[in-house]
Amino acid sequence: MYQIIQKRKIWLSISGFLVLASIIALGIWGLNFGIDFTGGSLLEVKFRDDRPSVVDVNTKLGDMDLGSLIVQPVDEQGMILRFQEIDEEKHQEVLTRLNELVSSEDDVVIETEIATSTDDMASSTDGIEILTTKVNDSYVEELRFDSVGPTIGAELKSKSVTAIVVVLVAIILYIAWAFRAVSKPVASWKYGLAAIVALFHDVMITLGVFSILGYLYEVEITTAFVAAILTVLGYSVNDTIVVFDRVRENLPKSSDDFEGTVNTSVNQTIKRSVNTSLTTLLVLLSILFFGGTSIRDFVLALSIGVFVGTYSSIFLASPVLVLWEKLGRK
Amino acid sequence: MEGNFISKLFEPSARAKVWRIFIFIIVIFVISGSIAGGSYLNKGVDYLKNKTGISINLPGLPEIPFKLGLDLLGGTHLVYTADMSEIDNADRASALEGVRDVIERRVNVFGVSEPLVQTNISGGDYRIIVELAGIQDVAEAVKMIGETPLLEFKEEDTAQRELTEEERKIMDDFNTESLTKVTEVIAKVVAGEDFATLAKTYSDDDNTKDNGGELGWITANDYPQVAGEVENYEVGDTSKEYIVAENGYEIFKLNDKRVKTNPFDETQKETEVKASHLLLCHNEIEGCESGLSKEDALAKIKEIETEATPNNFTDLVKEYSTEPGASETGGELGWFDRNTMVEPFTVTVFDNQEVGTISYIVETQFGYHLIYKEDERDIIEYNVSHIYVATISEADIIANDSRNWKLTELTGKYLDRASLSFNPNDNSAEVSLEFDSEGSDLFADITGRNIGKPVAIFLDGQPISIPTVNGQIFGGRAVISGDFSIDDAKLLAQRLNAGALPVPIEIVSQQTVGATLGHVSLQASLKAGIIGLILVALFMILYYRLPGIFAVVALMFYGVVILAMFKIFSVTLTLSGLAGLILSIGMAVDANVLIFERLKEELASGKPSGIAIRDAFERAWTSIRDGNVSTIITCVILYIFTTSMVRGFAITLGLGVIVSMFCAIFVTRNLLQLVISDKISKNTWLLAYKKTIND
Repeated sequence: MYQIIQKRKIWLSISGFLVLASIIALGIWGLNFGIDFTGGSLLEVKFRDDRPSVVDVNTKLGDMDLGSLIVQPVDEQGMILRFQEIDEEKHQEVLTRLNELVSSEDDVVIETEIATSTDDMASSTDGIEILTTKVNDSYVEELRFDSVGPTIGAELKSKSVTAIVVVLVAIILYIAWAFRAVSKPVASWKYGLAAIVALFHDVMITLGVFSILGYLYEVEITTAFVAAILTVLGYSVNDTIVVFDRVRENLPKSSDDFEGTVNTSVNQTIKRSVNTSLTTLLVLLSILFFGGTSIRDFVLALSIGVFVGTYSSIFLASPVLVLWEKLGRK
Repeated sequence: MEGNFISKLFEPSARAKVWRIFIFIIVIFVISGSIAGGSYLNKGVDYLKNKTGISINLPGLPEIPFKLGLDLLGGTHLVYTADMSEIDNADRASALEGVRDVIERRVNVFGVSEPLVQTNISGGDYRIIVELAGIQDVAEAVKMIGETPLLEFKEEDTAQRELTEEERKIMDDFNTESLTKVTEVIAKVVAGEDFATLAKTYSDDDNTKDNGGELGWITANDYPQVAGEVENYEVGDTSKEYIVAENGYEIFKLNDKRVKTNPFDETQKETEVKASHLLLCHNEIEGCESGLSKEDALAKIKEIETEATPNNFTDLVKEYSTEPGASETGGELGWFDRNTMVEPFTVTVFDNQEVGTISYIVETQFGYHLIYKEDERDIIEYNVSHIYVATISEADIIANDSRNWKLTELTGKYLDRASLSFNPNDNSAEVSLEFDSEGSDLFADITGRNIGKPVAIFLDGQPISIPTVNGQIFGGRAVISGDFSIDDAKLLAQRLNAGALPVPIEIVSQQTVGATLGHVSLQASLKAGIIGLILVALFMILYYRLPGIFAVVALMFYGVVILAMFKIFSVTLTLSGLAGLILSIGMAVDANVLIFERLKEELASGKPSGIAIRDAFERAWTSIRDGNVSTIITCVILYIFTTSMVRGFAITLGLGVIVSMFCAIFVTRNLLQLVISDKISKNTWLLAYKKTIND
């Protein structure tokens, strides 16, 4: 039997420190919201041959009035460009210019080749045109393009906040209902509140990590991130409920005091908690490493949340419950 | 041994029940498997057939493909807002539906398997969401949707504004200059200078100036003013003075004149007829308000026929005719030629009727007619050249200014068909419009209330044609004439056919995923899913041993069932949806873990296997239920509050959690009951538990 509850000061300090650090990180750097929320455009392209330098791209697109243009190389041949929201015409213009940037030198070669190899002048000019366009087309490949208007962004933001609030409320209500029969020595709503403390802890730390990642690696907060946070809420509360459920079951037949009973319950469920999050983390990590770039941030948020959620269900929710019971007796 | 006794007592029936459930599970597994993997099984059957040469026709399985989202297929998600500022509040929702219909038609051209076009009203914003999955050329699609023309019909706003001082000055200056110019030109014409050269130099008619101002052969029917002017000219004569016309000054030259003949048979003269008619429509004709059935209408017109004489015809028309406005016009149609009226009407009047008589009853698409043929004459054709000097009027300035036009209900929404046509007079390219029945009624209303006034046809917010209405037009046909080249007119007709939008739209959000990225993402997620599945399976077997194997079997069962469900409910699989699915693999094991941990405890306390399994499930159930309910709540809320990309995640995770719960309490339990006897349950290694001493 591990003395988990007894050593609660250690766990509470660790959690407290992490939450505090997260709050500080959020205070300093805030969150790096993606264009889903702020509005703007994101263009990811892959260059067939050599990738032009960031400076070249900046100069080439400089006079297009794209707002703040941020160019960021990714992988071997990719590049992500961020700029303000634009219409389709400008979008195509950006692609054309990128094409020009990488294709101009080679075109000369092709043109001369054809001009010398064809006798009929009229058809040779046609030939050049057809060939150069074909070559142009394959120089730059558009992997994805997102352009979001500011109204949509603002709306998404408010929707996300609503969703989070609704999830929280629904979960508190559910826990209060699920534990309605338990009243001694701790009232049922306190279980709910302890679970919420754990939730708050999980979400704050996940946000804190993303604040730091946003600052260091420009990881963005997208709608998918909100979905991840909401899933973490569900997952974390799931974990906490399993522990509390055991407490609920053990309380009537236990001869031990509340602290002892809770500790027994935590010990009985710890293997399950660890194993479940282990299997979940196994699949999450396999997506993280093999699942492609598009959902990497999303899965990262889930992984952090699941990990922290498991920790908090063992080392935070139950100690908080015991602490509360102790304070109540004084 | 109390436990043994009890379990033996219940064994016969309990055992049978376990087997029945097992068979049921197998059946579900086979059905789901054949739905989920239909194509693979079919391939396998084909392979066997080829390999063994057996020619028995095995029944093939239906092959339902997975529905992949655009982030996996490649494609684009577009959000448009419709500008409703000019639409009444009450009509906005239906206008939005109109936009959707048009875009849908537009989008169907792209050959995307299942294009999605949705409307969405959010706050004060009217939106159209278009999702094109698997589309090859996104840029072209966006362009084609965006390019769709906006066709509007506008009438004059009765609240006419005054010209501003600046505008008046521009107009006056322009007109003074025109007058100077035309005075100069007429002097030269009268002095005998070459008309064609003068036309080339001075005429403002861009269509004719290069041909020496030649208008070609015209008749009084199509150019009443011109014909009226040159009527008395001798061939070769020019105007002696300039003529003040509606939009400028005209100088004519009569090159030639002749009696019009049939273009296919020059010996046959063409004539025109002056006639009036009496119309009785009936309730089989759209828009008819007579209230008469077809039989009644026929009976009534027969009655009228017996009474009718040339003298009382006008009175009868005024009394009985159902044609709108007949009580004023007396059914007078004026002069018309063979090409003007519908066929039965023309055949009667031109081929079967003497001047001064009343016809037999003629049935047309408008109802029953009696026609009084008042006069018939040869059509004189004039070959005329002209020099045109433009002036501008107040109306021109105001007409060019869209603020002084007000919208009518008639828009491109009601368009049935647009086609390229040619003006019979000058062969210039035009676009003919045909409206649907609702549009025809609207058009009749609009022309009816604007007789003698201009009606403007706006394309993409610009007036392209502002004809003046001569009379009410039924039948829903209109012509847009303007300075079109043939190609322009053809293109416009094509664009209009593809669909004209009732309101302007603007793209506000675009998410495009290239096909390559989609493919890569799909491959990567499949790989990740398989690796995840293997890792979880390994972990479960290594840690829980025999029950672990059951959990893996249950997991495979879960996998097959969930894939079958995706196909049955045609759930769109997006990238986030696949993430949800993979995540649910991890979570699916959760229930098993809960049960196995309990089972270990129960077995450790020395309970016989049957009781231990039952207790383990009972005790684990509350935890499984409470835990999963919270996840399901989250999924439901995610589904309600988010957009398509995240929705996929919510659906797959939610479905996954529900199905996995079912698997755990059904499949795992059944397997445990089936295999674990008391004898096996004593094997602590196989079940991975340690006996405790206290019980």
